[in-house]
Amino acid sequence: MDSPAQPGTSVERRGTTVVVHVHGDVVVPTVEQLDTALRTLGGERDVRQVVVDLGGAGRLDSSGVAVLELARRALQRSGKELALEHLEPRHRAAFELAPPPQPPAAPEQPVTWLEGVGAGTLAVAASVRALGALVLDTVRLSAAIAVRRKRIPAGSVGAHVLAMGADALFIVGLLSFLLGMTIGFQGAVQLQRFGAGPFVSDMVGVSMVREFSPLITAIVLTGRTGAAIAAELGTMRVGSEIDALTAMGVNPVRFLVVPRIVALTFVQPALTLMSMFIGIAGGMLVASLLLDMSPSSFWLRIIERVTIGDFTHGIGKSFVFAWIIGFAGSHLGLHTRGGAASVGIATTRTVVVSVFSIVVVDAAFATLSTFVRYS
Amino acid sequence: MTALVECRDLACGYDEPVLEHVDLTIEAGEIVALLGGSGCGKSTLLRTLTGLLPPLAGEVRLFGESLYELDVEARDLLLRRIGIAFQQDALFSSMTLEDNIALPLRELTHLPDAVVGEMVRMKLALVGLSGLEHRLPANVSGGQRKRAALARASILDPELIFCDEPTAGLDPIVAVGIDETLVKFRDALGCTIVVVSHELDTVKAIADRGIMLARGAIRASGTIDELVGSRDQAVYEFFHARTT
Repeated sequence: MDSPAQPGTSVERRGTTVVVHVHGDVVVPTVEQLDTALRTLGGERDVRQVVVDLGGAGRLDSSGVAVLELARRALQRSGKELALEHLEPRHRAAFELAPPPQPPAAPEQPVTWLEGVGAGTLAVAASVRALGALVLDTVRLSAAIAVRRKRIPAGSVGAHVLAMGADALFIVGLLSFLLGMTIGFQGAVQLQRFGAGPFVSDMVGVSMVREFSPLITAIVLTGRTGAAIAAELGTMRVGSEIDALTAMGVNPVRFLVVPRIVALTFVQPALTLMSMFIGIAGGMLVASLLLDMSPSSFWLRIIERVTIGDFTHGIGKSFVFAWIIGFAGSHLGLHTRGGAASVGIATTRTVVVSVFSIVVVDAAFATLSTFVRYS
Repeated sequence: MTALVECRDLACGYDEPVLEHVDLTIEAGEIVALLGGSGCGKSTLLRTLTGLLPPLAGEVRLFGESLYELDVEARDLLLRRIGIAFQQDALFSSMTLEDNIALPLRELTHLPDAVVGEMVRMKLALVGLSGLEHRLPANVSGGQRKRAALARASILDPELIFCDEPTAGLDPIVAVGIDETLVKFRDALGCTIVVVSHELDTVKAIADRGIMLARGAIRASGTIDELVGSRDQAVYEFFHARTT
């Protein structure tokens, strides 16, 4: 492998003039030596002029040109001068690549905190408006599809149901079972102290049906499905696929968003329902092991205690959670701008926004239902 | 002259060979065009020449070293002596044009920031992008992205630059600007340039020599005038189907 010709500099002093004789190639791997020599000489008080003799120089690349150009400007600022000697035509050609010096850019006006807050508020308002428009568009198009005025892409809902639902069965089931067991353990230990051990079934049943099953299913679907929707749509946006749909006259909301929202509307409640029963089964296992409670007694208490209203509450919430996940992923994915990094940001935001909104909505449901029930 | 690129009985492709029995030599200081219609294997050959796609058979030598027989560190050192401008520009979308172009300098050298900044400014001016250094790739046009990719490929002043379709899809004025920039790289910095292209205007304007690929092999090689006057059917069709 050829390496650059051995570089070097030798310095000759002629009164207030210093001549730097350059030997060898002045290229990226070797240029630092010349840079250091010129900086040192530029700092010496008795030097008025620096002459760089390129007679012995080999290849001069843009790093060499950059170093000489920077040295010329630095010397000029301190009232000194840089001159070049014995340039060969190839060195002159390299210098011709250097652009003329630019005047310093005008300093940018700093953004005040108030302007920052204002800009942030406007951005959030614009995003909320766009989300509202997406929701309205989806509802309008879904209604048109329902009355067969518009078509949904063939097989798309089924494919999404499989990807979002069937593939999530195991993870949702396992988490729900473990969650039911955990509630069972906590309940059994605490309630047994007051002689109320059998009430563990009430605790597991109501907790799973009203709160934990909708919540755990929504969190799993946010991580799996919401993030996937944002990443998919974001990549399509960045790759101009969504522009291509629009240019073809195909509504991207009908083609991409409606099938995903419809699929999630089926998948989330179905998984939540499954989670409720598997979670209760987890609690039942703990009750039979710790409290010696038979499965039939456990289920009888569940049937007595958990009402249709509790199921309606849990399943009703799961619909809202499904729409939060679907619309957050779709909105942030469709509004991705830039490249790969923006897709990552959209995906992360989808998870954060969805989980935050789900917890807020869950708290609102809990508060409202408590008031309605006990006031 | 010194051979910078040599291939002997090379076969390249993914699962099946796209090109076979490729023998070629590219000398220092040349601008060589790899020519051929879509799907003839130009980009596949380029990937094999630049260490991105191991050959199915044969050998690739860069600067006299057998590229695929070197260990990883030695190969990385060798690849620092080449620059590649990809067909899809391959700029990092999260970085400004300035950061994209400066990345090889910052990662591979210990040059002071001032020198890095000055070199980036020079390259931006050379490709006509002065003033756009703080823009993200998404906020400039396709032609500007291609020029930024060319600036990044040349930032280390490599001895050998590979350009995959540098002017494809660009308007004639921008295309001529890129052609002129490539010639400047050769004349001012002494680079050897390998251009993959099916843009005849580019090829005629800059290439010293063309290598015509067709039907899974090198079909012809010579100056562009020699290729234009070739009686070989595939070569004739390539050049003359476009002018009729």
